[in-house]
Amino acid sequence: MTARYLGRKVATLALTLYVTVSFNFLLFHVLPGNPVQMLARSGHFSPAARVQLVRLFGLNHPLFEQYLIYLKNMLHGNLGFSYVYREPVTTVMGGAIGNTLILVGTATVVTIVVGVIVGVIAASRAHSLTDASITVGSLALWSMPDFFTGMILIFLFGVWTHALPVSGIVTSGVTEGLWAHTLDVGRHLILPALTLVLVNAAEFSLITRNTLVDVLVEDYVVTARAKGLSRRRVVWGHAVRNAMLPVITAAGLYVGMILGGAIQVETVFSWPGMGLLIYNSVEQRDYPVLEGCFFLFAIAVIVTNFIADLLYHLLDARVRRT
Amino acid sequence: MSDVNDRNAEGRLSRRRVLALSAATAGAIGTAAALPGAAGAAATKDTLRVGWTSPPDVMNPFTFTTTASNEILWLIYDTLLEYDLDLQPEPSLALKRTTNAAGTVFTYTLRPGVTWHDGKPFTAADVKYTFDVMAQHNLGQAAWSLVDLVSTTVVNPHQVVMTYRRPQAFDPAMVVPIVPQHVWGSMTPSKILTFTNKKPVGTGPFRFTQWVSGQYVQVDRNATWWGKAPAVKTIIWNQFENSDVMVQSLRSGQLDILTEVPPVLFNGLTGAPSVKPVEMESFSFHHIGINVSTNPKSGGNPLLKDQVVRQALGLSLDRAQLVALALAGRGKPGSVQLPPSFGVWQAKIPPGQQYNNNPDKAKKLLDAAGYTMGPSGVRQNKKGEPLSFRLIAIATTTEDVLAGQIFVKAAEAVGIKLTFNTLDANTLNNVVYNAKAPNWDIFIWGWDSATPDPNYLLSVDLTNQIGNNNDVYYSNPAYDRLYNEQATQPNPAKRIPLVHATQKLFYDDCAYLIMWYQSKLQAYRTDTWKGWTPTRGGMVYNFTRDNYLKITPA
Repeated sequence: MTARYLGRKVATLALTLYVTVSFNFLLFHVLPGNPVQMLARSGHFSPAARVQLVRLFGLNHPLFEQYLIYLKNMLHGNLGFSYVYREPVTTVMGGAIGNTLILVGTATVVTIVVGVIVGVIAASRAHSLTDASITVGSLALWSMPDFFTGMILIFLFGVWTHALPVSGIVTSGVTEGLWAHTLDVGRHLILPALTLVLVNAAEFSLITRNTLVDVLVEDYVVTARAKGLSRRRVVWGHAVRNAMLPVITAAGLYVGMILGGAIQVETVFSWPGMGLLIYNSVEQRDYPVLEGCFFLFAIAVIVTNFIADLLYHLLDARVRRT
Repeated sequence: MSDVNDRNAEGRLSRRRVLALSAATAGAIGTAAALPGAAGAAATKDTLRVGWTSPPDVMNPFTFTTTASNEILWLIYDTLLEYDLDLQPEPSLALKRTTNAAGTVFTYTLRPGVTWHDGKPFTAADVKYTFDVMAQHNLGQAAWSLVDLVSTTVVNPHQVVMTYRRPQAFDPAMVVPIVPQHVWGSMTPSKILTFTNKKPVGTGPFRFTQWVSGQYVQVDRNATWWGKAPAVKTIIWNQFENSDVMVQSLRSGQLDILTEVPPVLFNGLTGAPSVKPVEMESFSFHHIGINVSTNPKSGGNPLLKDQVVRQALGLSLDRAQLVALALAGRGKPGSVQLPPSFGVWQAKIPPGQQYNNNPDKAKKLLDAAGYTMGPSGVRQNKKGEPLSFRLIAIATTTEDVLAGQIFVKAAEAVGIKLTFNTLDANTLNNVVYNAKAPNWDIFIWGWDSATPDPNYLLSVDLTNQIGNNNDVYYSNPAYDRLYNEQATQPNPAKRIPLVHATQKLFYDDCAYLIMWYQSKLQAYRTDTWKGWTPTRGGMVYNFTRDNYLKITPA
């Protein structure tokens, strides 16, 4: 990898970030009116108290000056001050990021593993009843909105059998040791994670199945079979490997999408992650928090793309030559 | 105090709108709960578990804006006087209050031997500090009640005197949470505004334990509280993002009481085992607001400045139908600004004088005022200007949208055309409150009272509230005069007729067409805690905290 290539990529990265940050600022600041009015009406604030808040939130400066202050704060890692919680946005977002990573991380790993396994089973029994059931089942689950699947799970496991907690990330009021706490979080994690898996696994099972069906008729698979290898070794050892490329592409896209896409699931299960934070911040018009969240998502996508660019460069000779 | 934030909870400003799934799945899940096996998880004996869908914002008594924070803080901090279960004053940090004949000087004798949660003694200096800092720097929700405060004087460590510029019908001691000077005294006002107060120190019956963000808030009994120790040792308010799941958690025994239940789910709770749904009066109304701004830059249709047109709009509407259709019957037809929960303070309008459900009278009024039927069924004045207006409501407040649709039909029947549009809450807020040039005709919104005293709701439409709360730019010197007269009349017997006259005057002007007073819908489990007293405004989530202090294990 040349220094010039890297330099060009970093410069693009910096420019993209700047544009994103500026757009992010404009998005919330060009809206007419100001959010303090809302707080004042519901908080019974007097006109004088309202003026105080306007000053506190820095909304008394001209727009361009607010923009410069915003940029300066960004450079210092200061994402602003939440209108609602009266705390730095980084503090407000801190806990939510961790909770989302727990949910989305678990769900993503399970989704991909389950999706691929189910896809392989379907492909290796292509056009059988098993294959048809898997395909139809996957499509059915995939086409269900995730909040609806979530509600069904709540009905089955929460209301009907009381097997699992259906709301929150911990049992409220319980303070126990680390191990008990982890188990508690684990129990709360099952239903929201399962919802994400059920809805999204189809994406991977269908891609795997279709790719693998094509691969399984390739010459080298026939050769492998002719060598007398077991069916399992042929499928898993030879065919699946080669069918994985589209799955990896899909996984990359999926990770970027699901960060924000867990909003509905987090809302249904009252899971205090980024999705719920965004939902609540929209409801409460907590613009600095929304700016912070969007900024984080943008960073995630931009950085992921940057890494992907570098990886392509390393892996694919054709990219290197251009 | 801040029932106003029920607008958060009940939906006018930033209502937590559950995703579209609510209605769709409510039925399905309702059935499920009736199935066997729905027995509740074992309740902890001394913990009260409350469920709500509106989260708290901050634990700072000077800056919070939500009813949820208020609910918690009012158990951590004491006021000088509290509201009892009849919403009458009862002694708290003040054992006794005396007032001078004029009603301008209030002397409070403080309870001896009270300590803060951190062990330091509570004194009159704390009271003086709290009142002074609130009044001087406009801090907190109670600041509006302190505008006339001239001085606070510490007579001795157990006596403090407040002097007001004018007689006070409403005693601010009911709503000012007393904070410790040794915690707050060294902060500048701007420091107070940004202080998160993560470990609130009060004198109240409960101590703050923890707040797991987005999940729950926990408080525990204060063993050194001055009052009779409550049976509840721990209170946990659990946050739900979804009313269906919250109601299910009550059915299955994971919660003991809910602060608010949506009407559809409330109706579904009838007959649920060990669950008691309770319908109470609220301190709230929803209204149709008409732009009566006299500002030359107002973009409001000038025809609406004609009282006859506004009265005709009022007469076109059937309030009983609105309650039945938009509220699923859970409320009362609206008339004056004070809901029936205000009891004797609410003015009763005789049927013959009501602007309600009388389209024929509306037509006669319009005919007499020269609004003749024009082409396409829309009346017009002599200049040919049609009675055609814009109507806006908040898209996510379903009952308001429904009401809007009914209103359009009703107005059409008397020859007035309404063009209905829905907006998001923030946009509506900005359109309505654009005081420099309010460019709108008619909106649908609502108000909740900040106190069980008439002052708050009656103050909304004062001339001096234009640019602040006054959402229709109503300005009537006679109204302002009447308001001030009642607000400075400390004798209730003399104040009541003034309060009635204030409401009647505003009612006849028809700048507000109050649609309904919605009910406060709550539900609790009968097998965990007993002794809940239904109260106007709610058993919990109300001006009184006494239900928390008085319930006992079932």
